[in-house]
Amino acid sequence: MRLNHHRASQLLSAYLDRELGPAETAAVQAHLLDCASCRAAYEGLRTTKELVGQLPVAEPPAGFWAAVRAPWLPRRAGAARIRGVFGRRVAWASAAAVLALALAATPLVKGTIDRLHASEIGVDLYVRQHAQAMGAEPFTDRAYLGLTTGDADLVLSGDAQPAGTAPR
Amino acid sequence: MARPNASQAVSYTTEELARYEAIVQRYARHVYNVAYRMAGNEADARDLAQETFLRVYRALRRVEPDAPLESWLYRIVSNLYIDLLRKRPRGRVESLDAPVDTPRGELLREMPDPGSSPEAIIEREQLDATIQRALGTLSPDLRMVVVLSDVEGYSYEEIAMFLRVPLGTVKSRLHRARQILQQRLGRYVEARRRGWEP
Repeated sequence: MRLNHHRASQLLSAYLDRELGPAETAAVQAHLLDCASCRAAYEGLRTTKELVGQLPVAEPPAGFWAAVRAPWLPRRAGAARIRGVFGRRVAWASAAAVLALALAATPLVKGTIDRLHASEIGVDLYVRQHAQAMGAEPFTDRAYLGLTTGDADLVLSGDAQPAGTAPR
Repeated sequence: MARPNASQAVSYTTEELARYEAIVQRYARHVYNVAYRMAGNEADARDLAQETFLRVYRALRRVEPDAPLESWLYRIVSNLYIDLLRKRPRGRVESLDAPVDTPRGELLREMPDPGSSPEAIIEREQLDATIQRALGTLSPDLRMVVVLSDVEGYSYEEIAMFLRVPLGTVKSRLHRARQILQQRLGRYVEARRRGWEP
């Protein structure tokens, strides 16, 4: 098995950790004999691993053991920060629901204003009466569904408009 | 271990509480160490470790006696840490134990006890703080792999199992992590290669 420079350099950490199979190990060894830059890289990785490995074991602070042994006891405020993540998610979900509701209600409010406007300036009596009735009970207006889904080509005031233009 | 008080959500038998105590004895120090090396400061490490064991406590009846729990515990620590990062503004998770960069140079937040601080100890502590700070510059994914491998000494296969990632991912993350650390610790790596021991 023979490795090119790129492949061998990618395997240096695993070689250092003795995590390669026999064939790859032999191939990396052979490459290291030939390649000065890989030898330097290997030395750098080895020293880095050594430095990190010499970090002392972190000593838990006073009170840690008592708190871990009795997890049912109330904890200091800081610990709630981590548990609070779930609560915060619920809060975000509620906020999103309120926003979605507000967005859905916008066409209702806007539609009601448009209907009242149409009931005043509609070109014939039928349109004015219809607009007035639907303004009072917007959810019975079949056109409301169109408003909420963005199909707002409805011309309440009776003016002819080409499809695709916004209602007045 | 004392019997739980009335505020305890779950009531366990004495045997179950003894089992919980055994889990604490066996794993708490390692969990704290990993949490500390991930978070880089004592307050977050303590919170992460305590929350991890609260979850163990709540799930105690579902934990098989004598089953190895490393995989589960390190996954909890890792997920809790990522949650912690998400809920904080970017850059706010920093090492309280690392030196602080100021216009006048680096300041240590925690000064060593002058009564027991010969030069070598101070140098070692500064080096530890620098390594911890370099760890803090890695992404959580890379940091977890290097902590489990180079700090805790787990094999690639174990780390792959703990984190539920393929072996090749462990291999490439660890290599990448060491390359970044080597770059960040360049001065110390070079000094050590030349035979200078901090």
